[in-house]
Amino acid sequence: MFLTDIFNIEIMFSIKGKNMNGKTVILPIVAGIIVGLGFFILYVFNFTSYASEEPETCMNCHVMSTQYASWTHSSHFGEANCIDCHLPHDNFVHKLYFKANDGLRHSFIFLTRTEPEAIMIKKGGAVVVQENCIRCHKDVVTQIGGMLQGVENRKCWDCHRFTPHGRERSLFSVPNAEVPYINSATPMWLRKILEKK
Amino acid sequence: MTKVKSAGGWILFLFVLVVVFFMGLLANSIMERRTEAVIMKKAVVDLGEWETRNEIWGEAYPEEYETYLETEKGDLEDILEENPNVSILFAGYGFAKDYNKPRGHIHAVEDVRNTLRTGGPTEEKASPMPNTCWTCKSPDVPRMMEELAAGGKDGVAEFYKGAWETLGSQIINPIGCGDCHDPETMALKITRPALIEGYKALTGKDITEASHQEMRSLVCAQCHVEYYFDKFLDGEKKGAPYLTFPWKYGITADDMQKHLDERGPDGNGHNDWIHAISKTRMYKAQHPGWEFWQQGPHGMRGVACADCHMPYESRGGMKYSSHHVTSPLEYIDKTCQVCHRQSVEELKKAVKDRQTSIVKLRTMAEELLVKAHFETKAAMDKGATDKELEHVRELIRESQWRWDVAVASHGASFHAPLQVSNILAESIEKAGNARFELSKVLAKHGFTGEVILPDISTKAKVQKLIGLNMDKLNKEKEDFLKNMVPKWDEEAAKRHKSWDEKNKEL
Repeated sequence: MFLTDIFNIEIMFSIKGKNMNGKTVILPIVAGIIVGLGFFILYVFNFTSYASEEPETCMNCHVMSTQYASWTHSSHFGEANCIDCHLPHDNFVHKLYFKANDGLRHSFIFLTRTEPEAIMIKKGGAVVVQENCIRCHKDVVTQIGGMLQGVENRKCWDCHRFTPHGRERSLFSVPNAEVPYINSATPMWLRKILEKK
Repeated sequence: MTKVKSAGGWILFLFVLVVVFFMGLLANSIMERRTEAVIMKKAVVDLGEWETRNEIWGEAYPEEYETYLETEKGDLEDILEENPNVSILFAGYGFAKDYNKPRGHIHAVEDVRNTLRTGGPTEEKASPMPNTCWTCKSPDVPRMMEELAAGGKDGVAEFYKGAWETLGSQIINPIGCGDCHDPETMALKITRPALIEGYKALTGKDITEASHQEMRSLVCAQCHVEYYFDKFLDGEKKGAPYLTFPWKYGITADDMQKHLDERGPDGNGHNDWIHAISKTRMYKAQHPGWEFWQQGPHGMRGVACADCHMPYESRGGMKYSSHHVTSPLEYIDKTCQVCHRQSVEELKKAVKDRQTSIVKLRTMAEELLVKAHFETKAAMDKGATDKELEHVRELIRESQWRWDVAVASHGASFHAPLQVSNILAESIEKAGNARFELSKVLAKHGFTGEVILPDISTKAKVQKLIGLNMDKLNKEKEDFLKNMVPKWDEEAAKRHKSWDEKNKEL
């Protein structure tokens, strides 16, 4: 076959008495390399964490430290997590779709290093957050409903500007914040062995 | 050998090549960004394991350090001058000599050197206090504990052993960075063994299992808790005045008393001192701040010490935790108002109202206790035996313990107003009962009149009354500060210099 031809190798051996040639061996090896590399990517991606709804998941990307740190110092800390505001809660399918869509876009931006110095919410995200403000603070906002006639396009944070992230938005505005940065991808047991050496 | 028969093989080969190449790039990008996060966790400068000088840490963390320096603000306020009754209650104990209101972290070493409680040690005469008194004063403490553990000894017990002046030249830098932070990652860190042991006894958990939000209070709980010195532990700890938090049964005044009741040489009760007037075996409450905080509304809701005492501040578009640890009332806009929408005046009033009503109860308890001590002495003068006074003294001990727990835990009237009111009510009840029992004992010895109290209107009068020679104590302190302390500082300067030289070599 082609690979064995290119590298001019002749592989012949037998399994259970059946003679095998290069063709039947190389294909599984190549497929194994690709799939293995795929699993490796999923591992360094911390892939399983994305099933979680904990704020630590959002800290997989360290560019979120400003948002994380300002939230932990706000009155929303302990009451509303990242996803309580930033994912839609109207139905399960919409929520998952939004999570996947946002997540993939964020991954692309993060891995191509195209994140802006000051992260601002996108239009779609803003709609979701506004809905979530109302979802929790319904009792309050129904009372002001009448006053907002004609200004429906206003957002809660047009007035409540520092809720909950404050006005520091740039990537480096919380240089020494203690936030749960993701650990090294090298597992503990391996690090121990390496340190011993 | 066969020849390549079609281009199909080549196309597939190139396709796989491109896929694997880009997968590799992706993996590389993820790994690079993950490494960034690991690097961000690292300290800005290499501090080494035992850098205890706050100013060196401050070079790397200027915002935090500058706010820490603000803890210098605040003057000494003499509690005994303000309230001479306190001297009566502590008669026979160090706190009758000298008792000031707490000051900022940066004064820790200076104030423990200056207080009359640590005495005026000389080459010949030891301080009345053990090295345990240094434990909460400096990041040099864990450094010494480690150093003293050389040769497989129990470094912690070794640290506590010996009179207070023996480690004076080592404990130099005031409470600071290294007390709560890991020098490598800046993560919060517990450096005091007493809390690790106490937390285990209280929760059954290892303190490393604590969440980050818990740690934001636990680092404070290394010092701002109730403690006593236990000389009757087993093994290598035996004989050392071992710093222990009395949390075996819990953190309420009742629970902690139960713990103390079980200690002592024969398990019949711990003894902090024998009261000079009533000859009662007493317990000294320290500052159970962490204990009260978690019994109150803020603690129950998981608001950490740092949330109110170290609020987020911003300067030039940067945010950092203020390390000017002080009353949150100093900057309500950054503390209370993060959650509460009331005005500054209203919030201040809410705190002051609680404090005022609790001070009222506190004063009631104090006055009853002062009378009870003097009436016990009167009963002794009339010939009452220790057996007759046993129950009275038990009531006095339990009453004063509760008064002290409430008073010494600075801020408890705000942290847990309901609990403090309860404890003070119990204190008042027990002191009242003690006096009722005393009237019976006095009557038995033929006295039914009123015990007349001596003049206790000023600190000086009280101190003279309880037999303190203040001129001598002040003179000893003065000599100590003049003769011994400069030597300590000189030795420390040499040590710090040798660290600098070692750092340069590296």
